[in-house]
This record gives sequence, structure tokens and C-alpha cells, in this order.
Amino acid sequence: MISSGKMVKPSIWAGLLIILLLLPLFVKSPYLIHIINLTFIYILVTVSFRAILTSGQLPLAHAGFMGIGAYVSAIAAKWLGLTPWLSIPLGALVAMGVGILIGYPFARLRAVYYAMISLFFGMLIVSAVKAFARWTGGAAGLTAIPPLLGFSKVPYYYFFLGLTTVALLILYRLESSRPGLNWKAIAQSHMVAASVGINEARYRIIASAIGCLFAGIAGATYAHYNTVIGTSSFSFMATIMLLIYVVVGGVGNFAGPIVGVFLLMTVPELLRGLREYVPYISAAIVLLVVYLMPKGVTGLVKSLISWLAELWKKRRANNAS
Amino acid sequence: MLLDLQKVSKHFRGLIAVDEFDMNVDTGELVGLIGPNGAGKSTVFNLITGVWPVTKGKIIFDGEDITDKKPHEVAELGVGRTFQLNPLFSDFTVLENVVASFHLRPKSSVLSALLNTTTYRKHEASIKEQAMEILKLLGLDKVKDEMGKHLPHGHRLVLGIARALAVKPKLLLLDEPTRGMSLEEIDLALGAIERVCQQGVTIVLVEHNMEVIDFCDRVVVMSFGRKIAEGSIDQVRKNEEVIKAYLGDTNAA
Repeated sequence: MISSGKMVKPSIWAGLLIILLLLPLFVKSPYLIHIINLTFIYILVTVSFRAILTSGQLPLAHAGFMGIGAYVSAIAAKWLGLTPWLSIPLGALVAMGVGILIGYPFARLRAVYYAMISLFFGMLIVSAVKAFARWTGGAAGLTAIPPLLGFSKVPYYYFFLGLTTVALLILYRLESSRPGLNWKAIAQSHMVAASVGINEARYRIIASAIGCLFAGIAGATYAHYNTVIGTSSFSFMATIMLLIYVVVGGVGNFAGPIVGVFLLMTVPELLRGLREYVPYISAAIVLLVVYLMPKGVTGLVKSLISWLAELWKKRRANNAS
Repeated sequence: MLLDLQKVSKHFRGLIAVDEFDMNVDTGELVGLIGPNGAGKSTVFNLITGVWPVTKGKIIFDGEDITDKKPHEVAELGVGRTFQLNPLFSDFTVLENVVASFHLRPKSSVLSALLNTTTYRKHEASIKEQAMEILKLLGLDKVKDEMGKHLPHGHRLVLGIARALAVKPKLLLLDEPTRGMSLEEIDLALGAIERVCQQGVTIVLVEHNMEVIDFCDRVVVMSFGRKIAEGSIDQVRKNEEVIKAYLGDTNAA
């Protein structure tokens, strides 16, 4: 019984992957494909955001790191003539490098102090983009960024599907092994964690480095997909949206951010006719979740499943007796 | 000598919390650190484990100067400790608490965890086994799947000891291991401490409970940050200064 239960999960994931691989055969609307592509990018950013969150740090500059990846890659490709295939890794590595560099001084700060300093750092990134308008396009945005795979949406679909799948596998693996255990331990009590030899600063910086790397990848690929970028995508509000996706989906669950992005980004995008009402609908969803499901949507589903399993067990026990 | 505190002082701004405090502990000893509330006992623990920097003096552990070491480095050298408040990871299960505390042994890299190598998996499996052994030793194996935050008070403190044992400590610092416990819980904790002693671990404990102090080979008495007496419990009991520290100056009344 146990082994068959273990097989269920991978087969669900494999089935989902097959459906996703075949999706463009059935979905012909470029607009829909575009929304799905954005969903992939935002899933990547939000899951990497949560990775840092699990280590007890609230990275309020996270969208800014997406911006670092985006602008570095876009500038390298547009002004220096680098192919996007090289500028994207460059942008991602710069984002990770900056994440590590600020990780050292920031690791001395905890909780709300860390949140504040990262908030200011995020604002600094946006200001820097505006200050160097000659290269970045400033407030007007940077246009005519060389595309990665041309202008058709479907190649990007497969690119983002592959990228997000690999990134999620890596992040999932990290979270469910020793580094993830250390992150969660630090988040719960840095004193107890240190008393068993966990180097708090080291693991917090590792979390930042990995989170910023994936944010950078997401930002850089976004730049060469959208071919236009502006500071609003990387602002403080953009980070707050990431936080909302995570909270609504469920902080405690790896799938939380995925569900959150789908519910609050993809679905509202699809309800285009109701565009004016989208902020109200989103706000209502957030309030409902916060009041009724403190562990987010995934937390609710989890408790529902265990409740049903209990019920099933009881019924079988009753039938047997 | 396993632990040697040489004229250790800790000043918090104007307040002198620990004042030229000397203490040595030999391998295999069970030493009680006692004194009235606010005497500076927990502060001494925090100085040894590097939670707070030492103002003056020197701390030698196992032949190495650990005065300026950070908490995780002190743990690495083999000093385990428990905490009075928040003794555990409350969102982990009992077993996860101990497994997470096995961080130091074996050292695993982020890369090996990421690739899920066979050596990594073997290490993690052996850690789980060793964690279960510790839980069995301390009588916590029956509650291994309980969440930390759902544990009763006594179990929480004993789990603190289990966690500290995962460091494979040469020296174990227990901060009030029976604080606020019921009689049954005290039995659980005492049994745990006894079994840890039998494993040959050197222990220093801060305690107010006489039942626990009677276990100790030797006690050190602190008052207002200073050592006022040291010796067997019977010796210390008759000491004038100790009586004064606990009961106040009887002549003054």
C-alpha cells in the first residue's frame, strides 16, 4: 500500500508535465500563451522569494533583484552586442553576486530590521536605474531589447516550461534536504540553531544567493521575452505582490507560491473584461484567505485531505467491526 | 581540565553582571552552578557559548581559547547547551528537532544535498538512526512525531537536552533543566540527566531544585556576579556567605 502511495505523486507530476508539453497544440491564442509564459516567470520569482523567506528573512528587495538581472542582461545585449544566451547568465550571476555582497552586512540584522534595510536597498536599485537613464532608459523604460527566441510566443513557452521545471526541481531539492532544514531552523530560533553549530550568517547568505540567482534568471529572461522593461515591474509594490502570492498560496508549502501566482496573477489576467474590478477581487481573495485560511490555500487543501483520510479510516474501521 | 574560566567579567554598560569569575571543570564531572536569581549564572553560560562577548578574562575549553568564538564555533568544538526559554524548534517534530541539530556531523555540502548523492543519503539515514537512539536514551521515542509546539513543558525541556546531545558534546551546559516541572516531569528529566552522565559527558547545570543539585559532584555558588563558595554540597551549605546570599544578612534584621 505504501509503495503505491509513493508512486501516486510522481505520476501526478508526470501527467501534469505531459499536459503542459501538449498544451500549445490546443491553445492557439497567442495572448493565452503569453499569460502562461508570464505565469512561468512569476512562479520562478515567487518560489525563489519564498526560498529566502524560509530562512527567516523578508527580502523586500526581491523584485529589485529581478530588475538587476533584467537590466544587466538587457544592457549587455542591447548596448554591448552580447547574445542573450550569454547576457542572461551574466545578469543572473550579477544578481546573485549583489545578493551575496549585501548578504554579509545584512546578515547581522534580523526580522523587521532586515526587512527595512532590504526595502531601502530595493528602492536604491530602482533609483539607480532612473539615475543612469542613458543606459537604462530611465523612467520611460528600456525598449527594443534583443529577443531571445524571436517574436513568436510558442518557442518561449517551451523555454519557460523547461526553465521553470528545472529551477523548481533544484529549489525543491534544496528545501527538502539539509540546507532547507537549516534555513527553517534559523527562522524558528537563531539562538538554538547556533547552539547546534549552524552558522546563521552562512546559511542566510546561501539562501539569499540562491534566491537572487533565480530572481535574476527570471528577470533576465523576462527582459528578452518582453523586449521592453520598466522600473515598475521591479519596484517595492512588485515585491509586495510576490509576498501576497506567497501568503495566499501558503507560506509553509513549496506549492504555495505556485498556487498564489495562479490565483492572483493568471486568473485576473484572464478575466480581462473585468479588468477594472481586478484590484477589488484580488483584495477580497487576500482578505478571505487571511481570515479563513491562515496557512493559505495549500494549507487548507492539506488539512482537507488529512481530514478526508481520517474520515475514510474511521468508516473502514466501522465497517470492519 | 576541560573548561577553565579565568577572571571572566561581563559588563552591560554600567551593570557588572559577572565579576572576575573563576571556574574549572574536569572531564567527567557533574558540576552545579547555583545562586540566587540574578546572580549571573545564565550569563556565564552565554559567555562560554559566545552568545555575548566577554568584557574581560579568558575562557579555555579543551586546551583552546574560546573567549572570542561565535556560538556555532563553540558548538563545533563540542559544547552543547540548553535554553531556559524557547528550548527547541517549535515548528519541527521531535525527531526533526534532533535531526536538524545533527548539522555538524557529518558535514554535508550544499552541492551533495542538491545532487542527492548516495553518500549524502547514507549520511542522512545514519543521522536519523542516531537521532532515534538519542530519543530512546532520553525516553522521548514515543513522541517522536509530535510537533515541538504541542509538547508538554517537561518534554520540551528534555527535548532541549536531546538536541544538545546531537552536537556530540564533550561538555553539556544545562540551564535549569527542571524549571517549572511537575514531579513526574522532574523524574523524566533526572533520568535523562543520569543517563547522559553515564555516557561520560561532562555536565555543568544551573538549577534551583535541590533534588537535582544533590546529584552534582560539586557546586559553585554565585552571588552578584561573583563566586562566593565552591565545594561539596555539605560544605557549601554551612558556608556563612552562602547563607547570607540566600537569606540576607541575619545580623542586619
